[in-house]
Amino acid sequence: MLFNTIQFGLFLSLVFGLYWFVVNKNLQRQNILLLVASYIFYACWDWRFLFLLIFSTLLDFYTGLQMQNQTDERKRKMWFWISISVNLGFLGVFKYYDFFVTSFASWLAACGVEWDPWTLQLILPVGISFYTFHGLSYVIDIYNRKIEAERNFIEYAVFVSFFPLLVAGPIERATHLLPQIKRSRWFDAALAVNGLKQILWGLFKKVVIADACAHVANHAFAHAADADSLTLAFGAVMFAFQIYGDFSGYSDMALGTAKLFGIRLLKNFAFPYLSRDIAEFWRRWHISLSSWFRDYVYFPLGGSRLGKWLSVRNTFVIFLLSGFWHGANWTFVFWGFINACFFLPLLLRGRNRQNLEVVASDRIMPSFNEIVQIIATFAMVTLAWIFFRASSMTEAFIFIERMITSGTFMRPELFSWTLILLIGILMCIEYIGRKSEFGFDGLLAHLPRPLRYASYYAIVVLVFFYAGKEQQFIYFQF
Amino acid sequence: MKQFLIRVAVFLLPIAVLLYPLDVLLSKWYKMTHRYPGELEVWNAIYDGTAQCDMAVYGSSRAWVQIDPAILSDSLHCKVYNFGMDGQNFLMQYMRHSEFVKHNPFPKHIVLSVDVFSLAKKDGIYEVKQFLPYVLWNRNMASVTVHEHGFKWVDPFIPLVRYSGYGDVLRQIETNAREGESQEQYRTNGYRGMDRTWSNDYKKATEQQASLQLEIDPAIQLKLESLIRECKEAGGNLTFVYCPEHILGQQYVTNRAEIINTFRTIAQQNGIQFLDYSYLPICNDTSYFYNASHLNRAGSMLFSTELASDLKRVYK
Repeated sequence: MLFNTIQFGLFLSLVFGLYWFVVNKNLQRQNILLLVASYIFYACWDWRFLFLLIFSTLLDFYTGLQMQNQTDERKRKMWFWISISVNLGFLGVFKYYDFFVTSFASWLAACGVEWDPWTLQLILPVGISFYTFHGLSYVIDIYNRKIEAERNFIEYAVFVSFFPLLVAGPIERATHLLPQIKRSRWFDAALAVNGLKQILWGLFKKVVIADACAHVANHAFAHAADADSLTLAFGAVMFAFQIYGDFSGYSDMALGTAKLFGIRLLKNFAFPYLSRDIAEFWRRWHISLSSWFRDYVYFPLGGSRLGKWLSVRNTFVIFLLSGFWHGANWTFVFWGFINACFFLPLLLRGRNRQNLEVVASDRIMPSFNEIVQIIATFAMVTLAWIFFRASSMTEAFIFIERMITSGTFMRPELFSWTLILLIGILMCIEYIGRKSEFGFDGLLAHLPRPLRYASYYAIVVLVFFYAGKEQQFIYFQF
Repeated sequence: MKQFLIRVAVFLLPIAVLLYPLDVLLSKWYKMTHRYPGELEVWNAIYDGTAQCDMAVYGSSRAWVQIDPAILSDSLHCKVYNFGMDGQNFLMQYMRHSEFVKHNPFPKHIVLSVDVFSLAKKDGIYEVKQFLPYVLWNRNMASVTVHEHGFKWVDPFIPLVRYSGYGDVLRQIETNAREGESQEQYRTNGYRGMDRTWSNDYKKATEQQASLQLEIDPAIQLKLESLIRECKEAGGNLTFVYCPEHILGQQYVTNRAEIINTFRTIAQQNGIQFLDYSYLPICNDTSYFYNASHLNRAGSMLFSTELASDLKRVYK
């Protein structure tokens, strides 16, 4: 059940109606409804993996309680490691086992030893990387005594499985989401309206931008070996907008949906393509994952407190882990590595935190220098995306090689002015709304009511026109 | 909550109000095109009653490019209309028949062009967009076009939704509206003779796949039995026709004889005339064909004349 389908629209309307009209007087019932709806939503993908989700939830709930109740530090540690091992074990089996054994077999083959490894060839349960990280953050926070273990299973299960964030995040924290689940919720019309606007904006990004760009990007990557430079460069840029529209569009729909139930999720994107350097980009892209790695890996490793070289090491560790989190392929690891390399000069010069505010936060227009910085950052990010999108390292290098060497001044294949115009509209709206929670919200604040409504209907018409060729969300595979 | 629901309703109201009129308008414009090739003309003729006839010809492309209703009409002195559907098996042909008899009187005589693919299941739906203007609230059409590769379950219920994502259709409508659609019909009474010469289609097909084994789908065979029953109940006559097929093409489907025998058995069991023209002398001559399974205009005229003379014996 994709967010951009009528099935989801009907499902959402039904759950919304039951939530606010049938069980609205009782928090426990509201949470039970959310849990049942979330499990139905998940079962629509593949009901078999629902048991894995429930098991993972039960495990973290139980180990959390055990850690809370134990006074013996050794036993606390034991429960902690049980939870960590089982959670990472699931990820390892479903996501990484085949990758490791086949990589090892390739390495042996390179050394002259033939070994035919036994692979599992399992289907990756949708959302496993996301809900496992929810559970891990919860367990780690209890172990570090930052939070107390949750004693109400329903509330904990809603925290892990809340359907808007279940399959592709944002990766929530118990400190942020659990208090909202435990608190009585009353209908907030302004929040709900804002949620609907965010859903509409997410639909625009996904259906109009991402799916249209996917057509061009898929063509470029499928013809990497014989296309000309401009076609490949155009394809790479289109992939940059595809993945942004796809994932940030999904996140907007998730956040908007949660708002309809009176819940605010963590912001996942903050206009990343307006970033002036790569460090700023990573503070604005997939924020919930970046901050997860920062809090649970980078800081425990010492962060930047232990000197420059350890700081460099820690930076590389989190970028490589972040790449590996996305998928069991060297392309993702290299994508992490290349981003770390881009980050390195800023870190060494101590300039990685120079752009904390959004561009032109106190002005209408950015300076010429800032425009150049934004374009340069986008170019670097796009180059890195080639590794993210390619199916193998060889394909990525062929793509880049041909992009540089097969130069012609021919019009790129599948070039479309309409697409350029749509991307232009997206970026203009994002720029105008850069100080708001999401771009469209910022734009609407500047418009009188008739124009506001005209904008809504314009998006509805565009979504109608471009919908239909439903493409899976890229991040569902992670 | 009340305020929220009112705001949502106010926002949705214009959309809801416009859905149906826009659907009617889009469908009307789209029906005016002569696409798929000429299929929309046949659908229009069915729904506006201009396809009413004494003798109806059903089948696939083998029917609509090979059986000339004008020749049959002249010979039998009755109105003949060709309902042959491009690229479709009997499941779709039966759906078209059902639509036809829903909006027109049952024909006195049905000539069903059968072929090796008639009862074989298809993976997708060929040219599903031809059904766009007609499928709304049409349970019969929806039953065969709502499919993994066809319409979504919601499409036949909510106006306009099914046009979503068909950018090419919307662009075609826009072009037609801007430039004006040609009034020239692609087919005449459902038929169009092809002025083409022998191509290398057969060679290409055999290069892709040397031969083909087809399975008869029991569900489609049941539809054939339904047609036979309906004809009996309505007092109409039914004739099975196996159109000419070039000798090369006759070797392509390995169980061709078995399939033809199935039709022959069904015909015998129900007292239906089965006319097999796959052994006519023209089946050895490529000058009458444009590929192994389709006659060109010259071939179709010869064949239609032969068919008309044979139908004279059975047409009442």
